Amino acid sequence: MNAQLNSRSLPDPSSTAPAPLVSIRGLRLSFPDQANKPLFGAAPRIEVLKGIDLDLPAGQITGIVGESGSGKSTLGRVMVRLLAPDTGTVLFDGQDIAQLDEAALRPLRRDLQMIFQDPMSSLNPRHRVWQIIAAPLRRFGLGGTRVEAVAALDKVGLGADFAERFPHELSGGQRQRVGIARAIALEPRFILADEIVSGLDVSSQAQVLTLLKTLAREMNLTLAFISHDLSVIRHLCDRVVVLYHGEILEQGPVAEVFAAPQSEITRTLLAAIPLPELDAHWFDD
Amino acid sequence: MTPPSMLDIRNLNVALLNGRPILRDVSLTVAPGEVRALVGESGAGKSMIGKAVLGILPRGLKVTSGEILLEGQPLHDLRPAARRRRVAEVAALIPQDPLTALNPVRRIGAQIVDPLIKIHGWARPAAQARALDLLHRVHIRAPERVMQSYPHELSGGMRQRVLIASAFAASPRLIVADEPTTALDVTVQKQILRLIRELQQETGTAVLFVTHDMGVVAKISQQVSVLFQGKVMEDAPTQAVFDAPDHAYTRALIAATPSYADPERPFSPVPQSLIAEMSAALAMEVRR
Amino acid sequence: MAETSLPTAPRARVRRLNLRLWLPLSWIGTLVVVALAAPWVAPHDPLAQDLFFERLPPFFLAGTEPGFWLGTDSLGRDVLSRMIHGARIALLVSVSAALITCIFGSALGLLAGYYGGWWDRVISRLVDIWMAFPPVLFAVLLVAVMGTGLTSVIAAIALIDWTRFARVIRAETMVQARMDYVDSARIGGARRLATLVGEILPNVLPSIIALLMLEMGIAVIVEAILSFVNLSISSDDPTWGSMIAEGRNAIHFAWWVLLFPLIALFLTVLSFSQLGEGLKQRFDPVLQ
Repeated sequence: MNAQLNSRSLPDPSSTAPAPLVSIRGLRLSFPDQANKPLFGAAPRIEVLKGIDLDLPAGQITGIVGESGSGKSTLGRVMVRLLAPDTGTVLFDGQDIAQLDEAALRPLRRDLQMIFQDPMSSLNPRHRVWQIIAAPLRRFGLGGTRVEAVAALDKVGLGADFAERFPHELSGGQRQRVGIARAIALEPRFILADEIVSGLDVSSQAQVLTLLKTLAREMNLTLAFISHDLSVIRHLCDRVVVLYHGEILEQGPVAEVFAAPQSEITRTLLAAIPLPELDAHWFDD
Repeated sequence: MTPPSMLDIRNLNVALLNGRPILRDVSLTVAPGEVRALVGESGAGKSMIGKAVLGILPRGLKVTSGEILLEGQPLHDLRPAARRRRVAEVAALIPQDPLTALNPVRRIGAQIVDPLIKIHGWARPAAQARALDLLHRVHIRAPERVMQSYPHELSGGMRQRVLIASAFAASPRLIVADEPTTALDVTVQKQILRLIRELQQETGTAVLFVTHDMGVVAKISQQVSVLFQGKVMEDAPTQAVFDAPDHAYTRALIAATPSYADPERPFSPVPQSLIAEMSAALAMEVRR
Repeated sequence: MAETSLPTAPRARVRRLNLRLWLPLSWIGTLVVVALAAPWVAPHDPLAQDLFFERLPPFFLAGTEPGFWLGTDSLGRDVLSRMIHGARIALLVSVSAALITCIFGSALGLLAGYYGGWWDRVISRLVDIWMAFPPVLFAVLLVAVMGTGLTSVIAAIALIDWTRFARVIRAETMVQARMDYVDSARIGGARRLATLVGEILPNVLPSIIALLMLEMGIAVIVEAILSFVNLSISSDDPTWGSMIAEGRNAIHFAWWVLLFPLIALFLTVLSFSQLGEGLKQRFDPVLQ
């Protein structure tokens, strides 16, 4: 990695960005490679995150972009501590949560919410919509009645008659809005959104994104938004982080990064997006 | 006088067994060497058009009326076996999901070569040479090795290349591409689109390209059919659709597609009122 | 602007009579009623011997006596009364043995499948070792060691068959544990055990119930086999298995002694297995 590329990849202490809610330093994570496990002894490890330094400013939406295999989902799962890193620190509001055990994490979970990529698999098929939303509320002692679930549904633009439905009775976009309702009902401080629109068609995608943007502003949420689609990130996010093979290639305010991408990978990612406009030269490069 | 269309669909109606319409009076043509995009949201029936042409409609769906003409020949005149043979000779499919479209227990080579021998009557050495050539043309670096590989040894993008090679192997005159890049990364998607375009322009194959992405439509097609609940809302050259979309729904689909190049442009879902209005109009038609 | 749900037209709620549910249920229901009321509904004392009435044929053949509907055995005992009292034992054994087996095996399967690690290693090895014993021999040995009697039979069935539940439920739990809703419960602050019981168990329950029903059928058979080899409860008490064993000796001149308990056994086993499937169809919100 040359020096020029790195110039923007370290958080700049002198910038006027608000104080970070999540602050990650020296994050490394590896998985055992079961496919190449020798007959005896431990499997070799594949390094997925190779030293990540990253700040998520409070009240902002940070987009995390990269190709599949770049480690973006793994990074996200470390932020909400579904995964624990090998080394490195994850400061959430000043507290290092990188190696906390499940019991110590539980009181923090209310503030570390997540919206999943596949809403079909992330909503329990045996539970009704209102139960899905109410269960976390009950666990954190924040009520958990049907009335509160209906209020959360209302915030995501779904009527009270959705409360009694099962997830398989909803369309993809509606399911994803239930996923959002479940996360925001807890009034968390941080939400991770992992590829939440990649399975939706354009209209549902626009609906979900508009909704998320409005809610984030209203509730002053800090959001990490993982996506492979730079167009979506450009519309939704304040900042963008480009990940490649487990390393941060560049990061900065969206306007800056999109106006003058520093890394070749970012330029390739941008050039690969088919914009909804005629362009006879799109294929030439 | 104009040459016959490669594919000519006239007033095609497809319905569920309980009568619920899936395609309503769909008419469209694909000229030789032309790419026609079928675009619409999920449930618009866009994939079903390609499936009806290839005769692979899912169980429970039936063509209730209408005609499909392949190179001017009406398919419904043919007996099922003759129809299958005819379609196999002329057309090929690039499927959506590269994970499930290849048989996991057979080598890649056999999966490309076998149809050439069994359906198209090629000699084995010729078929093998053809497979190698095609794998080379889809920019696979070590085609000999890939021929010997099993699907799980290849990445998603590589598998989609293999499927494209396989689709083009028998020099079909029509290809149905059913959302071939939906499962792929944007960078891989661009490579795959470029590949389909290259081969298509080289061979003069007509393509029916099913997608939900107006961006892909703009890049790959010359003609567009915009579908809503099984009905063609707009049928126009791609140029015209993006310069001056005629139907409100087409405009709404374009407006719903985000663009990094134009972040100030408001991007908004298709209005509920428009959907309600169009659904109501379709319901009226059924009643009449 | 809240979106309201449209009436979902295609999900036709035509509730056809589910024969797979109601036929088995009516047979088993009859059996339960008859078994509970055995002393009152049985026309004769099942143990009363009357050598004047030995080997009377059933009512539809010549040479029968009124009141002995299904004939008598070689000691002149009424076949129908013995079957009715036999149903008591059959049901008692099948329900209690199957329930114990189910609870024990499913619990181990859930723990192994969800917690993984050494839980899984210990339980899976135990299942492997257990399954290496030939089951019938194992049962015979167990009863021989523990002595005949109802509890021995129940214990033998539970000790042999818990592996069936453990294996199947472990595999299903592993599939469910990989679903995002499990992670999402963690994110929502659920404890591990609460996730297992509140989130995963409801998704595995249909399989547990289907297996439970199957196990009830199997338990009836195992009890009959043990009775057949005289290792069930005391040989005085009428059981279907002992009736079949005794009837075997007289099959050429009094086939009914063997045939009627065999039919009851067959219907009961079949009903239990069909009931499992029927219940699954009826109560699974996803399948509906």
